[in-house]
Amino acid sequence: MAKIIGGLGTSHVPSIGAALDKGLRDTPDWKPFFDGYEAGKQWMRDAKPDIAVVIFNDHGNTFFLDRVPTFAVGVAETYNPVDEGWGPRAIPAFEGAVDFSWHFVDKLVERHFDPMVCREIEVDHGLQVPMELFFGRPDAWPVKVLPIWVNTIQYPIPTPQRCWDMGKVLREAIESWPGDERVVILGTGGLSHQLQGARAGFINQAADRAWLDGIANNPEPYRAMSREDYVEQFGSEGAELIMWLVMRAAMNSDVNLVHKHYHAPASMTGAGMVVLENAA
Amino acid sequence: MSAAATIPDTPLFDRAGSIRGYRINKMAMALGQPVNRAAFKADEEAYLDSFGLSAEEKSAVMGRDWHEMVRLGGNLFFILKISAVDPTPITRIGAAQASMEHEDFLHLRLGKKRNG
Repeated sequence: MAKIIGGLGTSHVPSIGAALDKGLRDTPDWKPFFDGYEAGKQWMRDAKPDIAVVIFNDHGNTFFLDRVPTFAVGVAETYNPVDEGWGPRAIPAFEGAVDFSWHFVDKLVERHFDPMVCREIEVDHGLQVPMELFFGRPDAWPVKVLPIWVNTIQYPIPTPQRCWDMGKVLREAIESWPGDERVVILGTGGLSHQLQGARAGFINQAADRAWLDGIANNPEPYRAMSREDYVEQFGSEGAELIMWLVMRAAMNSDVNLVHKHYHAPASMTGAGMVVLENAA
Repeated sequence: MSAAATIPDTPLFDRAGSIRGYRINKMAMALGQPVNRAAFKADEEAYLDSFGLSAEEKSAVMGRDWHEMVRLGGNLFFILKISAVDPTPITRIGAAQASMEHEDFLHLRLGKKRNG
């Protein structure tokens, strides 16, 4: 049986990757943000995972509106970073955890989920940025990845409860996998931000800070919240936070909040992370 | 879900928006490919025509009227690619949505210190 060694939550703001590309890490705007992630990076170095499950949404880079899968799962050998309009980024391609990914697909369908299954597909900043935040800029990524895409762009987006249910299946897939891989789960997106409409620039620091503790210690209210509640509290794009529920539901009900970091604004977003470990 | 009607100033990209903005978003999505970015730069109007944009849509794009592009169904994640070809910081796009001066937007919405 493979082992869940940690559940991480993190923002995936594209400007984070752009700041790294431009060498802005230690500028006044960015230094406090990146410094706060050092504890997460160190945790990752010590944890030595073999597989990273990354739950994220595409941002109009891989999927267009001609086909919008509510959930998609990658089973590819390799995932190249997609050109989002600014040209290719100098980061390595991601190697897929192919066999484990197919096993997850099997489990999902067995448990009445109907994912789109992707054999040839690129990944945008939703996956790239979390990997950079926790693994830095290696010549090759030290883990294989299992990407899970969640539609958070075109309504209807999935319900928080559905994301939670998927996390339960993810845990079952990990625990029923015959290998002995060490698996880390990254729920990504958020925190509060709104890019469109007259409320653009909406950031809710109080709700963000409550989220970072609540997702660890009392996630039930977030599972039960409506999508409308997410949009109201966290902004139209902040509703991405539902993707952290996939990670959280895969963990034990009792977890230790090992690291926590919050910074606002990163570009137009309340940004942060948690590192969770299952309580003994 | 009817959140669009109940949360002020917060349009959600729902069925109506997706249908309304399909052409603009398709045109913008294509800017992910270098050949299309070159075509956009070489002759913007011809590029927009090749995606069948209406006069109203063309005018919004060519005027870089972000507020209007969104009103016409443009989704920010797609139309952001226009700002990659013709650089515009996302905070300026946000300020345009909010109908605020950029400095005011940074301060009042994002909580940045003035001149800081």
